[in-house]
Amino acid sequence: MDKVTLTIDEKQVVTDKESNILTASLENGIYIPHLCYYSGLEPPGICRLCVVDVSGDIVFSCRSKVKEGMVVKTRSPVVDKIREVNFEIIMANNHMSCKGCAATGFCEVQKIMAFCKTDKKRVRRLRPPEKQFPIDESNPYFDYDANKCVLCEVCVGTCNKIQKALNFVGRGWKTKVEFHGDTSICEKCGDCVARCPVGALVPKGKAQIQKSA
Amino acid sequence: MGEEGGGALKETLEFYSGKRNELIPILQEAQGIYGYLPEDAIKIIADFLKITLGEVYSVASFYNQFRLIPLGRNTVTICRGTACHIRGAPQIVDEIGKVLNLKEGETSEDMEYTLETVACIGCCALAPCVKINHKIHGCLEPGQATGLFNIAPRAESN
Ligand code: SF4
Ligand code: FES
Repeated sequence: MDKVTLTIDEKQVVTDKESNILTASLENGIYIPHLCYYSGLEPPGICRLCVVDVSGDIVFSCRSKVKEGMVVKTRSPVVDKIREVNFEIIMANNHMSCKGCAATGFCEVQKIMAFCKTDKKRVRRLRPPEKQFPIDESNPYFDYDANKCVLCEVCVGTCNKIQKALNFVGRGWKTKVEFHGDTSICEKCGDCVARCPVGALVPKGKAQIQKSA
Repeated sequence: MGEEGGGALKETLEFYSGKRNELIPILQEAQGIYGYLPEDAIKIIADFLKITLGEVYSVASFYNQFRLIPLGRNTVTICRGTACHIRGAPQIVDEIGKVLNLKEGETSEDMEYTLETVACIGCCALAPCVKINHKIHGCLEPGQATGLFNIAPRAESN
């Protein structure tokens, strides 16, 4: 397969011609925050966290193909600011309470919060009036806590390739991931649970409602 | 949905070829027939388009125009737009909610009333206003909203 060479954060990187900037960076050990990208799935480009600077242009790295001689900067004051704001918008709808959460330790959101040095106080001010969804226990194999879901579409995209059992339901801040009625088409492969970047989809019995922090 | 209802939907489906991009027009037709989207209708549509129930539900729940529960005989729409809000929409929501014993988005058990709120009815000069079926009642004052329900058309209950 054809290769191209590009520079990411002053590092020379050789990668596949068809690859995108995000994949190329991750493969070379350069971290770019991301939530909706999952290796092997078509990136929906909805989290807007993977912003980078390509010779002065701000682009979403998961949906930008690599080019020969490209110069990418994953951090700059502008990039950091854009990422920070995009992340705050996501976090305003999230619980940010990690105590007792099944995902604590390997949660992508925790990682990005540390990366962006997110100001929790600021995010709290952006929070819409208190909402608390009950935990959805309708699936026999896993539980779903909408309060923690970042609506990244990874589980939906994963299931779309297998059974099409999981779908987004509703709109705006009421959007959730749901089965509709028919749980029998779920093959309990568990891929959605394994890939959920946060603790929203968890094995049966692991979910517990937490107070917002 | 009785036998007959399913028939009407199936008849309509004969005009469609079964491609997934026909989902929204078909949902609109189904809602035209039943007034809402009954579960059986969703099943028929999912079978017809060869998609899962969840996919139909996902689309139906996204758009405001689709209803998954039937409407009452009378629809009470309270405006919550900016103009109505500052002139007392919250009190009106409370007041009417108490009279009808309903919360926003609910339908009474006898199917008489559905209470909903919208972001703007489009007659801010008459704020605060309420729409009952197709009639607008504007410039409401505290206490007046309750009075509306004597003049609202009440279907004969049997
Ligand atoms: S449940 Fe997890 S994987 Fe699915 S959309 Fe929410 S955060 Fe993403
Ligand atoms: S990873 Fe690129 S937009 Fe989410």
